[in-house]
Amino acid sequence: MIKKKIHIENAVRKLRFNNDEMTQQGLAELVGVSRQTIVAIEKYKYTPSLDLAFKIALAFDREIQEVFFIN
Amino acid sequence: MNIKIRNTLTEIISASIAIIWMYSKLNAAANMSIASITQVLVQGIGISILAAIFFAIVIAIVSAIITKSEEKNVVDERDNMIEFYAWRLSGVIFGISLVIILALLGWFNLPINLGIIAITFSVFLASICSTFLKIYLYR
Repeated sequence: MIKKKIHIENAVRKLRFNNDEMTQQGLAELVGVSRQTIVAIEKYKYTPSLDLAFKIALAFDREIQEVFFIN
Repeated sequence: MNIKIRNTLTEIISASIAIIWMYSKLNAAANMSIASITQVLVQGIGISILAAIFFAIVIAIVSAIITKSEEKNVVDERDNMIEFYAWRLSGVIFGISLVIILALLGWFNLPINLGIIAITFSVFLASICSTFLKIYLYR
């Protein structure tokens, strides 16, 4: 059993800027969440569900492990 | 202002108004009949509902005037999670309050009038604590 606490990080902020400087609001509307949720994800204050993580990865046309990873 | 914080502020304001109003009406609670106490409590709950509706409208109008934009109320998984935490906290607070109230009623042989008032106030206390938790999580 893995008892170590996993800290999931993400590259959402970087990917937004690489995608024509997409706004947080734009990404939020694309994946169907509030802008505050995108802010919380970018600050690592909230880890999204698998469903939302896949939606975000699809929004950037990337694999999920390219967007969310364990550091 | 964030629409979620706006809504939680509305909840706190309405609950506080109802508590203050009920407290002012229940000065001589020990000598009041149960019928008159429950009347005040039901009126207090009604006031909290009306105050919540009134302040929700007023704060939404003021916010729209200041920001000159209308924010969409999108409810997502994070909101549901925060709502769940708030419900859990309010349930725990109400449960603990109920046990303490019942214990005190039995221990000190207090009138049931005070018990009814204390239980109603503990509902509002639980509601206020859960809204503070929501503000903390939405910050």
